[in-house]
Amino acid sequence: MTESNAAAGSLTRPCVKCRAQEATLDSRSQPVCRDCFTKFIATKCIKQVGILGKETRPPPPATKTGGPPTDTRRYLLGLSLGVSSTALLHLLNGNVEFQLSRGRSAPFDLIVIHIDASGDDSSPDTEAILARYRARYPRFTFHCVPLSSAVANLDLSSLPILSKEDEEPKDPHWWKTLPTAASRTDVARLLTRQALLAQAVTHNCQALLLGHSTTALAELTLAEAAKGRGFALPWVVQDGFAPSLPSSLLLPVPHGGGDGEEGVTGDGEEGGGDDGEVIKEVLVYHPLRDALRKELVIYAGLVDPPLTELISNTRENKDDRAVVSHKDLSIEEVMLRYFAEVEESYPSVVANVARTTGKLVRAGEGPGGERCGLCGMPLDEDGDQRWRGELGIQERSAAGTGGRLCYGCERSTGG
Amino acid sequence: MAPALCANCKTERALIKRPKNHAKLCKACFIAVFEDEVHHTITSSQLFYPGEKVAIGASGGKDSTVLASVLKTLNERHGYGLDLVLLSIDEGIKGYRDDSLETVKRNAAQYDMPLKVVGYEELYGWTMDQVVETIGKKGNCTYCGVFRRQALDRGAKMLEIKHVVTGHNADDVAETVLMNLLRGDLARLSRSTSIVTGDSRSEVKRSKPLKYSYEKEIVLYAHHKKLDYFSTECIYSPEAFRGSARGLIKQLERVRPTAILDIVRSGEDMARLVPGESPSSCACKGQKRAAMAPAEDDVGGCGSQNGRTPGNEMAAMDKQLRENEANEGLEIDVGKAMSESKMSGSEKQRDLPIRSGNGASKAVPRQVRGNCKRCGYMSSQDICQACMLLEGLNKNRAQIQI
Repeated sequence: MTESNAAAGSLTRPCVKCRAQEATLDSRSQPVCRDCFTKFIATKCIKQVGILGKETRPPPPATKTGGPPTDTRRYLLGLSLGVSSTALLHLLNGNVEFQLSRGRSAPFDLIVIHIDASGDDSSPDTEAILARYRARYPRFTFHCVPLSSAVANLDLSSLPILSKEDEEPKDPHWWKTLPTAASRTDVARLLTRQALLAQAVTHNCQALLLGHSTTALAELTLAEAAKGRGFALPWVVQDGFAPSLPSSLLLPVPHGGGDGEEGVTGDGEEGGGDDGEVIKEVLVYHPLRDALRKELVIYAGLVDPPLTELISNTRENKDDRAVVSHKDLSIEEVMLRYFAEVEESYPSVVANVARTTGKLVRAGEGPGGERCGLCGMPLDEDGDQRWRGELGIQERSAAGTGGRLCYGCERSTGG
Repeated sequence: MAPALCANCKTERALIKRPKNHAKLCKACFIAVFEDEVHHTITSSQLFYPGEKVAIGASGGKDSTVLASVLKTLNERHGYGLDLVLLSIDEGIKGYRDDSLETVKRNAAQYDMPLKVVGYEELYGWTMDQVVETIGKKGNCTYCGVFRRQALDRGAKMLEIKHVVTGHNADDVAETVLMNLLRGDLARLSRSTSIVTGDSRSEVKRSKPLKYSYEKEIVLYAHHKKLDYFSTECIYSPEAFRGSARGLIKQLERVRPTAILDIVRSGEDMARLVPGESPSSCACKGQKRAAMAPAEDDVGGCGSQNGRTPGNEMAAMDKQLRENEANEGLEIDVGKAMSESKMSGSEKQRDLPIRSGNGASKAVPRQVRGNCKRCGYMSSQDICQACMLLEGLNKNRAQIQI
């Protein structure tokens, strides 16, 4: 072992990768140096971005797709202002800089969107934080969109809590009135995702990039399973096309370019869950799917200057808070705690979860396939049929003219 | 404040908050609703046919006692026409099974059902006490699980019964769904949620009529019906591993009571998303996993609520996955992969020289159901798991005697 590199001999704990520097970190139970660690994370990310690049290769000129010619790839990054999405932003910026430094053109345009679910329209707080991001990554465009306005036009008549008479003066933050923390968090997360997809279409982006780490995908897998959305899991966790959006979601965003109608959809199905025609398909990618959350936390501290100064602290302390009452916990938080432990001791188990879901088949979106009026995922006719009337749980409320809800959304909004 | 009335009959005072959905019910309504739901499960899944002889796998614990009680009630109420028999396995564990068997005997009298007890000793020549004496407390659950699976089938055959019902509840099924997601075992994920297991090849089918019943409601039912059951845990699984799937489920249940059912629903739906469920595409990987957790072919192996996931299972899984990762990118060498999986298998049971260069180590096509050459029991290998384990045990015994 020692003969491989003379320099290694003089080091007390040489990095296993370069053998030239002192190892200061542990990466997947191997001692590595700082440089090799950051390179490791960057490689994991860029590999995925490369895959996406092939997927979104600009079409040869003169196709029938219509719309503005997309000679450059255009992506939308969902920025939660947390560690993972910030790390992804940094890595994407690094990738663009690298290409430019080689005299090539930028590999993609990036629009960064923060969906603000806090309630008060674009709180000054969020604006201040975003200003720091803009200053650090001037190359990209940043937008902050309040969740309430992003989903204002979603047809919610299928939601039990809204199907009563008081539908007219609909609370713009209606999801905050749901009875449990589990439901509020779940619905806010679904709406945020829907809003990001709608933004991607509006901004004419081919793909939505999300910062989910391996750990976050594992959490998502088990959380969605625990909420009864096993059927939709492959759609949520795998990379690939999102189920198309109802058109109602696309209206509220000002000026989307008039390319709505001549959609590029290949599958030609019609009449989704809502009144919506299918407009356009967006890819959803998770470029950090091969990095653990704890690795991204370390990475954020290693970058110079550290990303930690961008990231607002309030978001980070969530997981070490003591459990006060289980009523105030969401399923997401339970999973966060659980996987924080598992990640520490059994990182490969974490990686295995997302990989396993990757093998499941995406089902339910065929011609005539209905979609859930809330989460937008394909409905599971067979599963609903089999489950119906089982177990003494109340039948779904048939009220509402809008689309039906999936089992999980029914659960979250049923109260 | 006026006492809350039962949400169902609206006349009696509500005494029970249903764990499943927090509905407030009176005692009579709770019992009725619990039974109706099991009845619904039975009829909608068409579990039985009139005149069928059914063995209830009875351990004396709460699940199987409730199952026996409910089946007797429903059989009479709805005229299923079932011929019910209690089938008990005597693992040979003093201070645990001998006591719980007494419970089962009382149950047999209370429910007026015949009882058949099959002992590990008569089937295998070993009691669990003797096994533990030989191999120690670690890893003995593997033996117990493998032996029990066969023992139930063999007991059923002795009674000429083709259908065994077990007391697995919704918590058990949910736990298995999460466990299989964690361990990445899609084949088992798709099998574990189905209410009936055992394909057409197997002579005895298994089913779980309590699949949608919450553990907490089973306890409540047993309590309010004043059922006679045995609640001591198996003495050989003292260090219960609650950190993983089971603990997670309990937490989720606290956050949202319906979560257990929701996981069962997810598991059922995901089972339909498993591509092909074919043995062809990744047979060697399947083999590796089989080596990881041989004891859990079905939902839980053990009548005891704890201890069915030995504490080191996740560590072993992590290690195995890491090895797999390390091997990724290397040229695929099927022979090597298989010998490796054998290595890790034998490493886990290092006390026993179970690999002895007999027919079992030859490459056998995976997943081809055949019969064990020794005992004739259905097995995908030349020699079934129980016989393999027995061979190790018997060798050890021989050595000790010399």
